[in-house]
Amino acid sequence: MKALERYWFGDVALARPYLLLRMVLVLLAFDTWLNMMPEGAKYGVGAFNVAHFPWFDGFVPSSGFYVGVLAFTGVLALSQALYRPHRIAIALIAMGYTLGWSCSLLDSVPYHYLLSLYLVCFVFFPMLSARAAFSRSERAPRGSVAAYVLFCVTTAIVYFYVAAWAAARGESYWLPMACCVGYLAVSMQDRVELPAIRLLAPMLVAAPLTFHLATPQAGWLPVYMTGIALLVFSPMQWVHTFGRALTQPVRGLLDESVPEQGGLDERASQVFYLSLFGLVIAPMLSMFVDLPGVKTGCSLTAIAMLVVMGRQLYFTPRWRPLWRVASLFAGCLALLVTMSASDARFDYYREGALDADRRGDTEAAMMFREKAERYAP
Amino acid sequence: MASFETEPPPAQPSGTARRRSGAFIAVFVVLQFLIPLTYLTRDDMADERFTWRRLSEAAAPACETDASLERLDGEREAIAVEKLIHQDWVAYVAQGRRAVVEAFLQKQCEADGVVSVALRNRCDDERGLREYTLRCGGERAHETVRTAAR
Repeated sequence: MKALERYWFGDVALARPYLLLRMVLVLLAFDTWLNMMPEGAKYGVGAFNVAHFPWFDGFVPSSGFYVGVLAFTGVLALSQALYRPHRIAIALIAMGYTLGWSCSLLDSVPYHYLLSLYLVCFVFFPMLSARAAFSRSERAPRGSVAAYVLFCVTTAIVYFYVAAWAAARGESYWLPMACCVGYLAVSMQDRVELPAIRLLAPMLVAAPLTFHLATPQAGWLPVYMTGIALLVFSPMQWVHTFGRALTQPVRGLLDESVPEQGGLDERASQVFYLSLFGLVIAPMLSMFVDLPGVKTGCSLTAIAMLVVMGRQLYFTPRWRPLWRVASLFAGCLALLVTMSASDARFDYYREGALDADRRGDTEAAMMFREKAERYAP
Repeated sequence: MASFETEPPPAQPSGTARRRSGAFIAVFVVLQFLIPLTYLTRDDMADERFTWRRLSEAAAPACETDASLERLDGEREAIAVEKLIHQDWVAYVAQGRRAVVEAFLQKQCEADGVVSVALRNRCDDERGLREYTLRCGGERAHETVRTAAR
């Protein structure tokens, strides 16, 4: 029993959960915008739908609903990755993302379910600031993070089943099984003092890297899993040094310092009004995205951010609410830039036009075609 | 109890926190082990969701599908499936995904004066010919399988 407790509650380098959470959130934001949103036109067609779970029976998600949920999830995910994540926001991302894929069998990409499992783990991650995860000294801070070990075990279970089904089909299974063993073992590497284990554990990264580069997989799964493997398997000092370099600007952010001019009350009211102004302005960027549901999705993100800030917003002399609003603004701006610079919007309208043509719906086909021509690369 | 805000490095969890976390971890891990095993009890073997049987989307099967409905006056009428639903749903129907076939047949029964709906999938592989018929008002479609290819 003691050994099991040590396994789950032993120390890990805090740099790992810190970077993992942010990396997955950034990838998830761009994945939803670039890969999922272009599929949105198929939702609601013919008022027909079958959901993944029976509690959605009778609900037919429209394309506006689907794209809106994805816009909400993506913008909130990116804003949380950019500035101090908040547990409520992570829970909302988990719910939004799961709602996005689970409302219809049209989204049956296997790794979307895996990402939902990861997001559940993230809800229980420590919401570390960069200053807490990366000390000024060379020594990497460590702490007990059971949710991180759960994340590794979740990944190991996926590889275990990939190996088991492969074995049942009479195919080669040693590579996914090596990944499974690797993830189960490597979550302990930061607490083991034996130099041999510290040297050998990072080498196990070869298994997931080979597996994901050599096997055909859906969408961005290899990107997620390669990034995750590098963060989980790399030696503690490498991850710490990488994280310190990456978070240097964030650690220097103006936050708790005493104001140089004016009193605390004056700064508190400035922060309050600027934050409110930002919360109203940021979702307005989505007006230029020109996809159904995006405006509603981004407005809901602003409301979620308001909930997240809670009392912080109310006449606080700290700068923290402003940084939060800035991260929301960056999220909305990133969505706009991504949609403008990629073919995602064009693909959405082109697919809609092709499907409407196929079904003989000339009016809808014309509308979709007009927009597709406008956004053609 | 973890706070909602950004935190300093986590302290060693107390006994109560360990017990609560342990219970959550146990449930989460057990569920993850059990859910893929539900595949072995599924009626529809084409339904591989949540099982990790493959990490890519299943390839579209080469099956032809056609559907018809019977009206109150006994007249049979062909349904152009591809005109009613999105191509992706047509692929699911052609693949014989039971939940989608059932939902499609139920949907056709919602029209006035329809007595029954039938759907036929002709596949070039071992799945052969499969017919699904639903008497409107019934709960589940009847499936007939003829394994001999056409």
